[in-house]
Amino acid sequence: MKRALLAGLWAAGLSMAVTAAHAETIRIANHGQAGIDAMKATVADIEKKYGVTVEVVEYPAPDKDYVTKLLTELGAGNGPDIFSVPSASYVADMVAAGYLAPITAELKAWDGYDQLYDVAKQLAVSPDGETYVLPSMLGINQIYFRRDVMDKAGISTEQPKTWVDLIERAKEIKTKTGQYGLLFPAGVAWGGGAFEEGFQHLLVGSKNPQIAAADGKLSLSGEGVKDVFGVYKELIDNDLMPVQPLLGPEPWVIPKYEMFPAGKLVATTCGSWCYIFDWGRESKNPIPNVEKVVGTWTIPGQTSGQYVLAGLAAPWAVNSKAANVELAKKALLEIGSVKTEVSYAALIGNIPARKDAAADPDFQKLAELVPIHAAAENGVYLKQAAGFSAVSEGVARATEALLRKETDAAGAQKILVDYVKEVLGDDAVE
Amino acid sequence: MTYEKRVSWQLRLILLPSVLLLFAFVIYPAIYSVYLSLTNEALTGAAALNPRFVGARNYIRLFNDPKFWNSLLVTFLFVIGSAVIGQFVLGLFSAILLRRPLRLKPLFNSMILLPNAVPEVVAGFMWISMLAGGERATLSRIVAFFGVEPTDWLQTFPLTMIIIVNTWRGIATAMILLTAGLSAVSHEVYEAARMDGATPRQIFTRITLPLIAPTILLYMLVSTVSTIAIFGFVYALTRGGPGGATELISIYIYNQSFTAFQLGYGSAVAVVALVFSLAIGVIYVRVLKVEV
Repeated sequence: MKRALLAGLWAAGLSMAVTAAHAETIRIANHGQAGIDAMKATVADIEKKYGVTVEVVEYPAPDKDYVTKLLTELGAGNGPDIFSVPSASYVADMVAAGYLAPITAELKAWDGYDQLYDVAKQLAVSPDGETYVLPSMLGINQIYFRRDVMDKAGISTEQPKTWVDLIERAKEIKTKTGQYGLLFPAGVAWGGGAFEEGFQHLLVGSKNPQIAAADGKLSLSGEGVKDVFGVYKELIDNDLMPVQPLLGPEPWVIPKYEMFPAGKLVATTCGSWCYIFDWGRESKNPIPNVEKVVGTWTIPGQTSGQYVLAGLAAPWAVNSKAANVELAKKALLEIGSVKTEVSYAALIGNIPARKDAAADPDFQKLAELVPIHAAAENGVYLKQAAGFSAVSEGVARATEALLRKETDAAGAQKILVDYVKEVLGDDAVE
Repeated sequence: MTYEKRVSWQLRLILLPSVLLLFAFVIYPAIYSVYLSLTNEALTGAAALNPRFVGARNYIRLFNDPKFWNSLLVTFLFVIGSAVIGQFVLGLFSAILLRRPLRLKPLFNSMILLPNAVPEVVAGFMWISMLAGGERATLSRIVAFFGVEPTDWLQTFPLTMIIIVNTWRGIATAMILLTAGLSAVSHEVYEAARMDGATPRQIFTRITLPLIAPTILLYMLVSTVSTIAIFGFVYALTRGGPGGATELISIYIYNQSFTAFQLGYGSAVAVVALVFSLAIGVIYVRVLKVEV
């Protein structure tokens, strides 16, 4: 009897010990069903490899709502262990806030590091020289145009050489088809998109191609910034881009998901995801033969040059206050596997940051993304700096004033500068 | 200990949980907001790690911020349009109508109460679909029947639309309160007035309205303060757009605190909004001449 009791206690103790050993849980924040689906196999791999339980917590899908929830939780000290940052412009400020754990050493020791495109490695480095995010996917941004609509109207689909060239093409589209000629995301409701999917496209080819100055300040008062706003002003004043939908609560829905597929908007800035998620196989309103009827232009410079804008697409990071930071870092690197990156590419349309993804048979099936992946090596980018989230919001406010025809290019620049000074202090702006 | 003292202590003990909850969830957050408003506290950036005291800088910025003044104006028009005029007039009309013996009275009652049974975000999305642009949206189809050009109503008439939608949602509350006020008016007073030859209009303006004035003022107080604080319903409908046309003070506070991530500045706006609400409350209480 006594022996049986002891055996029972031993078994119970062993069971508790085993349970405790497996009780470690990693909480991963993800948003959007496509992202969750893309991570399914990776989650299983992490659980198997490290003997942990992975809890995937679904966060609100719109980027702005996601960031709000994430930052609120991180600020309160109860954020998820691993999370993606929807827009790379938030990273420097999250680093400054102390939310992200550095992963420089782990990333460099990782066997996938050498396979990363240089542009991805550089984009991941923060102003303090450390790396805090895993650059697993890239957003390659260009101008997408309806080749079929332009061909039918007898409009040239040749690459525009300068901004003037680009605007003239938009005017020609308007004149010959009666449809909107070119869209740059703008306004407050678009959130970070006004900066990331619009403003910086033009900025990299302007007289002020970078806004992160060497002294840590932000260079926003130059002529190039004003000239960028001037392009918006010209598009808006000449009715070349749709304005009213951009002032609504979900400004991307009408132009991107309705007008462009219907040919009512003929050209727009977008990332590689547009070929998959917005108008391709994962779209609710797909354009038949999207890879044929939708062409791409690189972004022309103000007076010369062509730019393929690269950005980190929702890079992943580890919470500096994660329950087990070292374990979370190991789990994070699993997200950088070719399998996960190709899964993301297939479901969302972003570009793998690893060169060896090109040889993956599943990636080769994504014919529309293969040439974009190859072009990633030549991608240009804006150097990140603390205060970029304020710049992003300032650009949104400035472009909103332009949409509402309340100001001109110089006024928009003043709105941006004043806003950034208000938020970060007068010293922050050069 | 005397009986009175014992009862007094018992009453204090009974009140203690409410006082603690009130302190934890109302008074402390309000005091903390005042403290935050004097700092540059943020959700991200260096200020999140090391917030510092900035004195009245947030308040100076606020009074020079045209978007703040715009949100105050929008809130004022929204409160006047939906709470003071829309809900009150239709609520009073419904209350008077439903005092009469009607055949389908329970059905009308239910219809008026129904908007309150729908969660605000669900109601918001329902109205979005009805007011959306395009020929298939409900309102556009109705007006198209009369030969009016369909439009995106939330884009073309944003403030008017949120006033109408909020009026729809708040009629029931107004009706319930005003029904209570009307039932306190004795039938004998009406009978006496009729015997003296008073017309229905005279009865309404000289008897009904003066006698239910305290209820009306109480409704105005509750309705004004709660309408100033409305957030979810309008946020679901328009998110404050287009171009700030429906950016109520509550949405402005949210946008500053949680989309621009400036908790300090957002708190300053919240403190000013609190002062406005308190001032309105004090005015109503003075007019009501009640002891608080």
